[in-house]
Amino acid sequence: MNNFSETPSRPALIDSTTILIIDDEPAIRRAVVSALASNEMRVLEAGTATRGLELATTEHPALFLLDLGLPDGTGLDVCQQLRRRTAAPIVVLSAGYAESQKVALLEAGADDYVSKPFGMRELQARVDAHLRRAHIRLYAAPSVFEVDGLTIDLPRSIVMRESRHIRLTPTEWCILTVLARRAGRPVTHEEIFAAVWGQRFGDSSLYLRVYLTHLRRKIERNPSQPRVITTEPGIGYRLRHE
Amino acid sequence: MSSGSHGGARVRRQWLLWVCVLIIATLTLVAARGDIEQSHVALVFLLVVLGGSAGGGRALGYALAVLGFVLIDYFFQAPYGLISVGKALDWVVLAAFLASAFVATELVARAREEADNALRRTEEVASLSRLGSETLRHARADDALNAVASLIRATLRAEWCTIRPLPATTEGGSWTSAVPPDADGMTQRRRGVEERLVSAGTGEREASENDIALMVDDDVAMVDSFDKSDGKRRIAALGVPLFAESRLVGMLIVGGSQGTPLSFDPASRRFTATLSYYAALGLERVRLAKAAAESNELREANRMKDEVIATVSHDLRTPLTTIKLLAQAAAKRGDPAAASIEEQADRLARLVTNVLDLSAIRAGIVQLDLALNTAEDVIAAAAVQAEGQLRGRRLATAIDLSQPELVARFDFVQTLRILGNLIDNALRYSPEGGEVEVSAARVGEWMDMSVMDRGPGVALTERARIFDAFYRPRSEPPDAGSAGLGLSIARQLADLQNGSVVYSAREGGGSVFTIRLPAVDWDPSTVDDE
Repeated sequence: MNNFSETPSRPALIDSTTILIIDDEPAIRRAVVSALASNEMRVLEAGTATRGLELATTEHPALFLLDLGLPDGTGLDVCQQLRRRTAAPIVVLSAGYAESQKVALLEAGADDYVSKPFGMRELQARVDAHLRRAHIRLYAAPSVFEVDGLTIDLPRSIVMRESRHIRLTPTEWCILTVLARRAGRPVTHEEIFAAVWGQRFGDSSLYLRVYLTHLRRKIERNPSQPRVITTEPGIGYRLRHE
Repeated sequence: MSSGSHGGARVRRQWLLWVCVLIIATLTLVAARGDIEQSHVALVFLLVVLGGSAGGGRALGYALAVLGFVLIDYFFQAPYGLISVGKALDWVVLAAFLASAFVATELVARAREEADNALRRTEEVASLSRLGSETLRHARADDALNAVASLIRATLRAEWCTIRPLPATTEGGSWTSAVPPDADGMTQRRRGVEERLVSAGTGEREASENDIALMVDDDVAMVDSFDKSDGKRRIAALGVPLFAESRLVGMLIVGGSQGTPLSFDPASRRFTATLSYYAALGLERVRLAKAAAESNELREANRMKDEVIATVSHDLRTPLTTIKLLAQAAAKRGDPAAASIEEQADRLARLVTNVLDLSAIRAGIVQLDLALNTAEDVIAAAAVQAEGQLRGRRLATAIDLSQPELVARFDFVQTLRILGNLIDNALRYSPEGGEVEVSAARVGEWMDMSVMDRGPGVALTERARIFDAFYRPRSEPPDAGSAGLGLSIARQLADLQNGSVVYSAREGGGSVFTIRLPAVDWDPSTVDDE
């Protein structure tokens, strides 16, 4: 879906990528392994946080799938410890009830979450997207995005749809930039607040969600069915990157 | 504050003493009348007046001056033995004596009053500073109040002092300092007086009742039930309502006994009012300490409930994930039953969410993040969520883009759940190929979001019950895929956000469920004026 100025074609996955699933439920591990394992992808399993951290050090997986109900460590702890060891994407398998937990995990270094019960296609898509993004990040950060017919050119500060310029206010541009820099990943309300308004938590920051709705009316093909910026309920927003 | 009877005896003694001194001086001077002049007599009498006013106060001073005036005229001015003035010079002597005596009396009395005031002020300041340190010194709020009660009692030289929280708590706690330590009869009388004062002070009873007078100026209630035979008022006890931030938090009650009733002049009432600030402060401290302890307990209880729900959620959703993944793998292999297994797993997952929602509502741990949100945002999110559940129905979201965004104050996640439940409900009752419409509008103070279907609608007899938990319409087949929780949860979640969910029949057939949330007025130029 996206094109990148520096890497015009969709990059292939690295040969035989290793990913690691840390989950205490053998049935889930088996199901995930059978869903994801292929010639190009090796899926390692760990049933405990300790084993997971061990494998993280020895095997250098390119991506982590992390369950939160581990017997030997809270999800938050494990997430922080993984983040200290590796820059690889961490996707949390969340069965939690409260969205605040997901926000805490994102702040602790997780890149994304998949809510249980998830389907194979959803998991596959998420894993592919994060592997691709991580691979690109190794070479160059994308600076021109094309999402659902919309072009966002960060260096030239231009937003266009069908070669027609779209005029954004500075605040709208700022919000779009924050989301684009983290494209494909959920960005929390707090992160947007901090990036756009800094320490000035004034009246206008209360209107973040109104600004966003306004921005959508300008950039989306159909604002009632947003395809560029999706809402992550209770967490924030995500610029699509698939 | 000296007690009345004690002071009276002392004053009487002073009168007796100085009148005697005056008589002795007169007799002595009369004996030497031939050798002395009037001015000598006037000087001696002036000395007596000074002494009298210094010892016995203003009244004695004036009385001695008048008496001296008469005595000079009678014994020392010719004609002797008569109240009459012969020469003009005698008038000058008499007038000079009277004027000097009055001025001297007044000056001495004022000096005495000022000295008394200064002394009392010093005592007051000392006891206030003691109160301040007592209030702060004690680690426990209870101990501080006991200390304050006993200090106030000592300062006002009262029999007892009680600090009572109001409105009365169920534990009935109050802090009392009494001397002598409560005897049975005393306690009973004290309690009775306190009850009367509290009901008078809080306006529960008419203030004009027999033995209670409400002092309007100082907001002080008094009991003057002692010994009214001589027509004088004896104050048995005094109640000062205690306020913190203009909220009545309690009452300070100070009481005397039959033998030594309280004396309350305006100055001491003012001082009592000052003392009452400390009592109010102490009561606030007790209340806050208790509230803090309770909120800690509550937080701990809520944390535990949260944890239970999170664990249950994890334990139920994890096997559902396994089932779903295995079903999808089976479908890939061409198993005809796989699709049905996955559908049932999804249905069960929705049921789990509903049961957890209901548990969270009943446990009182629904966390609300009330923020300014737009109808568009939440409706779009609901549409994305519903994508997998359409089963041949359509979902249309109508948003008028020519109008400014509709903004309301609500919790996004909970409102999405409400909308999801209403859409789920509407889809379930829509005929195959039918359309469910979602729209939003501003109606007065509210922002309404409506979910409309062309299903059979709700019979009049059932409308009152569709929002009850586990209620399912009689017409519904038992396997319709609903446990009857969705609408109940929707309504409760809306109530929590100061909104509501209501049903109305749709024109042309079908149902309209409307979520009503508090709208927010805003200026659309705020997002465009940069």
